[in-house]
Amino acid sequence: MAEYRVLLVDDEEEFVSALSERLMLRGIEVDSALNGEEALASLKEKEFEVVILDVMMPGLGGLEVLRQIKSTYPNTQVILLTGHGSTREGIEGMRLGAFDYLIKPVDIEEMLEKMKEAAKTARTG
Amino acid sequence: MVEKVEQLSRVKEIAFMGKVAASLSHEIKNTLAIINESVGLMGDLLGKDAPGDWPPYSRFTNLLASIEEQVQRSADIVKRLNQFAHSMDKSLAELDLNEKVRKTVMLAQRFATLRRVNLETQLASEPLHLLSDPFRLLYVIFGLIERAINSSPKDAEVKVKTERSGERLQVTVTDQGTFEAGKIRALVSASPSPEAEQGEADLALLAQTIEALGGTIAAEQEDGGLNKVVLSFPASMPII
Repeated sequence: MAEYRVLLVDDEEEFVSALSERLMLRGIEVDSALNGEEALASLKEKEFEVVILDVMMPGLGGLEVLRQIKSTYPNTQVILLTGHGSTREGIEGMRLGAFDYLIKPVDIEEMLEKMKEAAKTARTG
Repeated sequence: MVEKVEQLSRVKEIAFMGKVAASLSHEIKNTLAIINESVGLMGDLLGKDAPGDWPPYSRFTNLLASIEEQVQRSADIVKRLNQFAHSMDKSLAELDLNEKVRKTVMLAQRFATLRRVNLETQLASEPLHLLSDPFRLLYVIFGLIERAINSSPKDAEVKVKTERSGERLQVTVTDQGTFEAGKIRALVSASPSPEAEQGEADLALLAQTIEALGGTIAAEQEDGGLNKVVLSFPASMPII
C-alpha cells in the first residue's frame, strides 16, 4: 500500500514517463496527465494528496490549474515545477496557495522530501 | 520626436531579444529535465536489477554520475542565460547593485578564464538600492570588466568592488593592465569616433551610456601601476 497518491502533470511526455517510473520504484502511487484539462479530469475521478504541476504548459496553464485545484480541493497540496525559480509565475503560484516549488531539472531526493511534507499537510489539513 | 520614436523602438527591440532568449532557455531546461530523469531511471534500474559483480557495473554508474553532473552544470549556465534575458524585460527597475555585479561577474567569468585572468569580487555587506535600466547597467559593468580583462597580462587579477560612498553607489574595477588610467580618462570624455580603435571606441560609447543612466565614470592610477575605474550612481530609496 502506497503512503500517498501523486498526480504528475507536465506536457513533456518523456519527462512524465521517466519520473513516474522513478517514483513508482520508490513505492509511490503515481498517476500522470499531459495537460491541465487531463489533470482536472483525473482529480474528479480520484483523490490525490499531492499534485506535481508544471507551470508552463500549453492550453490551460499551470497557474489556472492551480487556482482550480485550490478552490475545489483545498486539501490537495500542489508542488510547482518551474524552469527558473525567480520567474513571476513561480512567485504568483506561491501566492495562489502552492505548497512549494521545484526547479527543473529536479533533484529526486529533494522532490521526495517535499512530497512527503506536502502529503502530511494534505492529511492534517 | 524622431529621436523618441527611435528610443522606444530600441527598447522594444531589446525586450524582444530578451523574450526570445528567455523562452529558449526555458526549452533547454525542459530537455535537461528529461535527460536528468532518464539518467536517473537508468541508475535506478541498474541498482535494482544488475548484479553487483557484473564487470561494467561501476563504469556505468560512474558514467551516469558524470552525465548528472553535466546536466547540473548546463542547468546553471542556462540559469545565467535566463537571468541575462530577463534583464531586458523592463527599461527601469529597482535593483540591488551588489546582485547586479555578482551576476555580471558570473557572465564575465568565462572571458576571464579564456585569457587566464583572475576575476575577484568584493561586494558591500549592505544592499545597494538603485533605480536603473537593468540591461544597460549590465552592459556598462560588463564593458568595464571586459576592458580590464582584455588589457591584463596572463595571471593578473581584475578586482570588482561595490560600495556606498555617501549618497552615491560605486562599482570600482581595478586591473594591472596596459590600458593606462590617463588614456581611459581621455577616452571617456571624448566623443565616440569611427576612426578610433575597437577598444577605444567601445570605451567612449560606454561613457555615453553611463551618462544616459545618470552615472559618472572616473579613472585614476594607483601606486604600483594599478588602474582603477570608478563607476558611480546616485543611490535610490528602496521601493516598498
